[in-house]
Amino acid sequence: MAHAVEHEYTTTGLNHRKMLMWVFLGSDCLFFGSLIATYMVYRGQSLVGPYPVDIIDIPVTTISTFVLLMSSFAMVQALAATQADNRRAIVGWLMATAVLGAIFIGFQVVEFNTFKNEGLTLGGNLFGATFFTLTGFHGAHVTLGVIWLVALAILGAKGRLGPNTALDVELCGLYWHFVDIVWIVIFTLLYLIGGFDAGPTALPGG
Amino acid sequence: MAHQTEHTSHHPSFMQYVLIAIVLFVITIVEFLLIWDRLGIEDDLGASKIPLLVILSAIKFAIVIMFYMHLKFENRLFGTVFIAGLALSFLVGIALIGLFVGFEAKPRSYAEARAIPYEEHGGAGEETHPPVAAGPVALGVAAVADSLVFDAASLSAKSGSEVTVSFTNPSTVNSHNFVVVESGTKDAVATDGTTAGPTNDWVPPGDPRVIANTVLIGPGESTEMTFTAPAPGTYQFVCTFPGHNFTMFGDFAVN
Repeated sequence: MAHAVEHEYTTTGLNHRKMLMWVFLGSDCLFFGSLIATYMVYRGQSLVGPYPVDIIDIPVTTISTFVLLMSSFAMVQALAATQADNRRAIVGWLMATAVLGAIFIGFQVVEFNTFKNEGLTLGGNLFGATFFTLTGFHGAHVTLGVIWLVALAILGAKGRLGPNTALDVELCGLYWHFVDIVWIVIFTLLYLIGGFDAGPTALPGG
Repeated sequence: MAHQTEHTSHHPSFMQYVLIAIVLFVITIVEFLLIWDRLGIEDDLGASKIPLLVILSAIKFAIVIMFYMHLKFENRLFGTVFIAGLALSFLVGIALIGLFVGFEAKPRSYAEARAIPYEEHGGAGEETHPPVAAGPVALGVAAVADSLVFDAASLSAKSGSEVTVSFTNPSTVNSHNFVVVESGTKDAVATDGTTAGPTNDWVPPGDPRVIANTVLIGPGESTEMTFTAPAPGTYQFVCTFPGHNFTMFGDFAVN
């Protein structure tokens, strides 16, 4: 199937599916850009606690960031294995990527639960509203990616992935790496920089 | 097929991918060390750590899209489409921040007018005053004549604020104190206070359950104490004079 698509005539001379993925990722930038901007607008404006400084756990989130970075490495290996037509490696690396993604989600579930117990809710204060919306949508992207990866791994196990269908894996990889770079931005802004924010009076000029 | 083999040969090798992964790891470690309070670098850097962190994460971002997403080796149109979306999202961000900051839309004053005090989210509180910033708070409490009760059943303050309690004892016969303790520990603290005796104002010294306490004051006297309101939650206040704790107490809500 994908093989036939490769030889389709297109106005740009580029593969339609790959172009679609890049256009989608470009538009997804806008989606996350808006949510991040909203977080920044309301940063330090919460009137009641808990504030980021009370609950953000940077060491733990650094570990989950490592896990996600590692999953990106496993993803590129999955694509390389597909191009090399190594079925065992395809399934292995795809599953490794999926498992690492699932571990990241596990960290997020525990984090959300801890925050909820500390009193941070979607409707409690501006920090909770913007934090959960942004990281929640990111977590949803990761979850979708994990499902996609597992589906590909099943196809791979059936021997339906190889050099001719490498694009199937490559598109999933593009999506996966995109989710990774979104997290790079979120981790820097919400955790490394925003993780020390206290109440309104503690902010300079706030 | 020819297209594909050519395409593949441009991709980085396994070792190059490993190298890229190591670079990404190292940058993340550096970022973490920059803000790790135990290292103390962040104190020296001050506000300049923010552009530093932004640049480091931008480098990570660029490495991932160039190598892991192969944008460096792909047709430029893919990159153009993606960067266009990225640039647009930056503009949206700048526009949003500009809208709220530059045009004095004052999201905070809007929120302030509609803020619901923290304790109401749990449905426990009854006060509806808007929460104040964590400034100094002055509270007045008194015993009621010769009865073994306080004149207030509940008090509240904002976490982190400096609370000054003026405590008056109008009784003609009884001595009282005013002790703020952890939730549910008033009777246990009073029992230990009895053991501690009048020389310790009927308060167990160095007890972690005791947040703050006044000295014991005799009939007609008054005193004052200042303490910093602890983490949000419900605490109790109590008179630990032997026997008084059963009727002379109330809730201290920190929000």
